[in-house]
Amino acid sequence: MFGLIGHSTSFEDAKRKAMELGYDHIAEGDLDVWCSAPPQLVEHVEVVSPAGKTIQGAYIDSCFVPEMLSRFKTARRKVLNAMELAQKKGINITALGGFTSIIFENFNLLQHQHVRNTILEWERFTTGNTHTAWVICRQLELNAPALGIDLKKARVAVVGASGDIGSAVCRWLSNRTGVAELFLVARQQKPLLDLQEQLGGGKILSLSEALPEADIVVWVASMPRTLEIDKTKLRSPCLMIDGGYPKNLDSKLAGTGVHVLKGGIVEFCSDIGWSMMELAEMEKPQRQMFACFAEAMLLEFENCHTNFSWGRNNITLEKMDFIGEASIRHGFSTLNLQSHYQAAIA
Amino acid sequence: MVKVDGTAYFLRRFMPALQSLVSPTLEVEDKPLEGTPDFTAEAYKDAYSRINAIVIEGEQEAYSNYVSIAKMLPDEAEELNKLARMELKHMRGFTACGKNLGVEADLPFAKEFFSPLHGNFQKAFSEKKLTTCFLIQAILIEAFAISAYHVYIRVADPFAKKITEGVVQDEYLHLNYGQEWLKANLATCKQELMEANKANLPLIRSMLDQVAEDASELHMDKEELMEEFMIAYQDSLTEIGLDNREIARMALAAVV
Repeated sequence: MFGLIGHSTSFEDAKRKAMELGYDHIAEGDLDVWCSAPPQLVEHVEVVSPAGKTIQGAYIDSCFVPEMLSRFKTARRKVLNAMELAQKKGINITALGGFTSIIFENFNLLQHQHVRNTILEWERFTTGNTHTAWVICRQLELNAPALGIDLKKARVAVVGASGDIGSAVCRWLSNRTGVAELFLVARQQKPLLDLQEQLGGGKILSLSEALPEADIVVWVASMPRTLEIDKTKLRSPCLMIDGGYPKNLDSKLAGTGVHVLKGGIVEFCSDIGWSMMELAEMEKPQRQMFACFAEAMLLEFENCHTNFSWGRNNITLEKMDFIGEASIRHGFSTLNLQSHYQAAIA
Repeated sequence: MVKVDGTAYFLRRFMPALQSLVSPTLEVEDKPLEGTPDFTAEAYKDAYSRINAIVIEGEQEAYSNYVSIAKMLPDEAEELNKLARMELKHMRGFTACGKNLGVEADLPFAKEFFSPLHGNFQKAFSEKKLTTCFLIQAILIEAFAISAYHVYIRVADPFAKKITEGVVQDEYLHLNYGQEWLKANLATCKQELMEANKANLPLIRSMLDQVAEDASELHMDKEELMEEFMIAYQDSLTEIGLDNREIARMALAAVV
């Protein structure tokens, strides 16, 4: 069985969803009630791969909402309790969706392996970052040519390059895609220098230096709050892949020649009988989902019960190959630019 | 110019929190997550005199409640009396914890604290309402104890920590006993179970409210206590065989 740990995008959405599901006691409660609410296994699903295999899964809502981000202990408890529930339910491999993996990483929850009477078995969990990185790279490879961007001549900026997904994207782009130039952008310089050394290339630039030069921008970091982007200084065409969480590259940024694509989203080949992706505001909630969630499904399809994506900077090209091949075999495709660009991609 | 700030919902609402989340200054390995309380401080000992008394009184009442249940279930009296004796052992353990810190337990306070729940148990016993007795003692009180002990273990002094770790394992046996009985009799006892929940779950909530300030002095958060309790209670009701919607309806009594 695979598992997905997710949460609502806001407190208001969470209350609405809880009411729909019949969890009136939580739905009617204020934020303090939600802070004390246990995680809920809200849905069981069955997924059939075009390759023939059927798998069972469960969606766990951690009862975390982004309004709790400033409550350090609460956020930590929500993640650990949801993970404990997944393990108690005997789920083999569970993806940490949305803020779950961000909290896990940033609050260093590896030191909290004991949750009550349970010792969390890390091999039962995956961040899903390998699949997310592969999907972003594939979105770039498919969609840039559709806009007339020649990858061999393209300059690509990776914003958040030193992160787990960002560094994997950089490795793939420099080894497999052969882009002309790679701009490495991140807040901290030291990890960028290490990455540059590992890659044997790449130019370290500030965001303001990189943006006007880039034909393609891959965002795998959340944008700084005060950031202002001068649209007139962006190249045309410019492909922007929004691979961070939450997805905060607003459509207003898109304009003549600037195309924003939601990164790290996949679509399954048939409808899945679930209701939970509506929470994530997917355009086609019956089929579309975060690539990190799909990774748990892929690992279950492949009977690969291990913490496939775990820790920082452990994503290898071989792992991306493995998960990418599984993704295609089991009926997932990447989210691409809309309508008139589709013909070119096909 | 496109001003990104203010355009996206998330960016607008949550970025300050997110930025503090990822800020290197908040790296948690540099800071203890919960400071250890000063076990010798007067404020700590004052709060401890009431919390310790609640625990001692709780174990004492658990002893007499299991003896009462044994009278209603003569076939299982031997097992129930064994469970009861374990509660006495716990009581002695917690009495030692107070002595170890030089604290005298405020037992009159604790008797008053438990009196509404104790009264409900006594009434159910006199009416031979076995389901209600099991729900109050073996589910609600045990789940309350287990959750509070789990939170306490994280911030207890070394002596009390060791004692409490031993106790919490026993309490799971007690919870399990009640669960198994209710599960086996669910077909006939569900209605009474729902009614007993409605009458008694709000008492647990108000007991938590009453103790919140003293618990906080011991570095136990009310929010965490409530969450731990709801997890233990929800798990228990699931084990008994209730479905998600029934549990949700029952849990409502804790909120309204």
